[in-house]
Amino acid sequence: MARPKVVSLTEAIGQINDGDMLTFGGFTVWRRPMAAIYELIRQKKRNLHLVEVNGGTHDDMLVGAGCVGIWESSWCGHELYGKFGSNLARRIEKGEILYEDWAHIHILNRLTAGAKGLPFLPTYSAMGCDMLNPENDNLGKAGLRNGSNRHIGKHKYMMYKEPFTDSEIILVPAANPDWCITHVQMAGNEGTVRVEGLKFSDQEVIKASKHNIIITEQIVPEEYLRREPTRNMLPGYLVDYIVELPWGAHPTGLYGVHEPDGEFISSFFKATRTQEGFDQWAEEWIFGVKDFQEYLNKLGINRLESLRANPALGYSSTMKRGSR
Amino acid sequence: MESKKGYSKPGEFKPMDLLACAAAREVKDGEIVFAGTGLPMLAIMVAQHTQAPTAVCIYESGSIDGRPIDLPTSVADARCSYQAAVADGLTDVFGQLQSGKVDLAYLGGAEVDRYGNVNCTFMGGPTGKRLTGSGGNSDIHSLAKRSVLIMPQLGQKRRFVERVSYITSPGWKIPHWPDQEWVPKQQVYGPAFNGGPAAVISDMGVYRFDEQGEMYLDTVHPGFTPEECRENCSFELNIARCQGETLTPTYEELDLLYKVIDPEGIIMK
Repeated sequence: MARPKVVSLTEAIGQINDGDMLTFGGFTVWRRPMAAIYELIRQKKRNLHLVEVNGGTHDDMLVGAGCVGIWESSWCGHELYGKFGSNLARRIEKGEILYEDWAHIHILNRLTAGAKGLPFLPTYSAMGCDMLNPENDNLGKAGLRNGSNRHIGKHKYMMYKEPFTDSEIILVPAANPDWCITHVQMAGNEGTVRVEGLKFSDQEVIKASKHNIIITEQIVPEEYLRREPTRNMLPGYLVDYIVELPWGAHPTGLYGVHEPDGEFISSFFKATRTQEGFDQWAEEWIFGVKDFQEYLNKLGINRLESLRANPALGYSSTMKRGSR
Repeated sequence: MESKKGYSKPGEFKPMDLLACAAAREVKDGEIVFAGTGLPMLAIMVAQHTQAPTAVCIYESGSIDGRPIDLPTSVADARCSYQAAVADGLTDVFGQLQSGKVDLAYLGGAEVDRYGNVNCTFMGGPTGKRLTGSGGNSDIHSLAKRSVLIMPQLGQKRRFVERVSYITSPGWKIPHWPDQEWVPKQQVYGPAFNGGPAAVISDMGVYRFDEQGEMYLDTVHPGFTPEECRENCSFELNIARCQGETLTPTYEELDLLYKVIDPEGIIMK
């Protein structure tokens, strides 16, 4: 039985190849593996195929850096910190990226099917909507539904008259990413994983993926996690690599540990209104620092401390958030 | 001293206050409500403090019936989970939505049309301006029993259109793919049909949908006329059924908004 290897971030991300299909744990601007995103960009990965239940600051960054060939998801934005993903929007508008739009349940079902070893799952969601308009099957229009890419099915979806009650339903194909990268609060030294707070769709996207990288705030003794197995999310054999990296989710939020850095995300969003703006931003925050440690040093202890959560509440009770 | 239950007068509230309170009044006690980030959160919280104390709020990231003591700024905010009954994930809550357990949902959008179809993917269709995409908008609009849209309108008639340039979320009349024939929603959804858009609340009025699934003006906000509401629509809006003016926020609701729900001034600046 394989136990995960504890490695450096550089080493873990070095395993990912150009053209691989990737997904991530987390939800919009919460619990995203941002240190891994910076490292993917630093290692100049190209032509990645993202398939995500929803996007956020992290995937807009990858798109801005030119790492993404195909984007499939239901959403890309920065919650209240930025109206939409500017890098993705610009590339879509200029025809510089292939994309498929889905509803939340569609893409959740695709990854759930992948996690269960099924070829598809049905849903009633978003019938009659334009993401199901045959004219918007962008991968089909690009000629990629010919079996040449193992991650792209013969059809975007199928309308199906199910045989039990004769209702019309849509079938969406399984997705099995090559890699899922997830940031968590705790992993044991044998790889057992614990997530505090909402699990979002982590269990589905992790189990759908061929390989998993877990970035953890802390590695703790297995014995500690096994005292309360009902609080754990994954056994170690589902994990390939573990990276211990406190603050690795910054600028997104981490339940019980720190808030999202809204100011940081807002300034990222403002910078990304042009490609030049993004390039300058990336030069300062990604290429201009040697590694994640140097990034944290650049942010400074005061900024990080201002984000720290109150353990009784799960969030910060002192951070200034509004106008009063 | 005005009674707390009394209605405020024009000049004593901002357009945003009226939007939040009009939205709050759509909630009935005991309902299961799906809410998104921003105004919808304020609306459900006002409702829970007033006419709907046992209404339950579900956030699409997975928290159910949280009792936040600080206003969340996104649906996955740790504040949503505070004192929640359950904080799990998407499979749970979207499954409950698909099985018809959600009574009411609040949504936003960039464009809405006569039938309540919503666009938040592309302004001007797939060659136009890219927005965020659906997120849960299409799922929720597809599968909730009633949905309420909160939209800006004044001076933005391009947002109220005959037909949205991209259907992110279904209204009362939609195309049946792949043959593309426009049919009533119920015909497309069959046994999964739970309902559809119940109201659109803008900064000018409250709109509802008639027996044919077409939008009409129900009440006009103080300071506007039904004709002005029609002029701020790109389609010929039915104003014949307008019942009069939208009730203004009560002093109690204003207190709740500014002093109890959002004392930090995050949305109610």
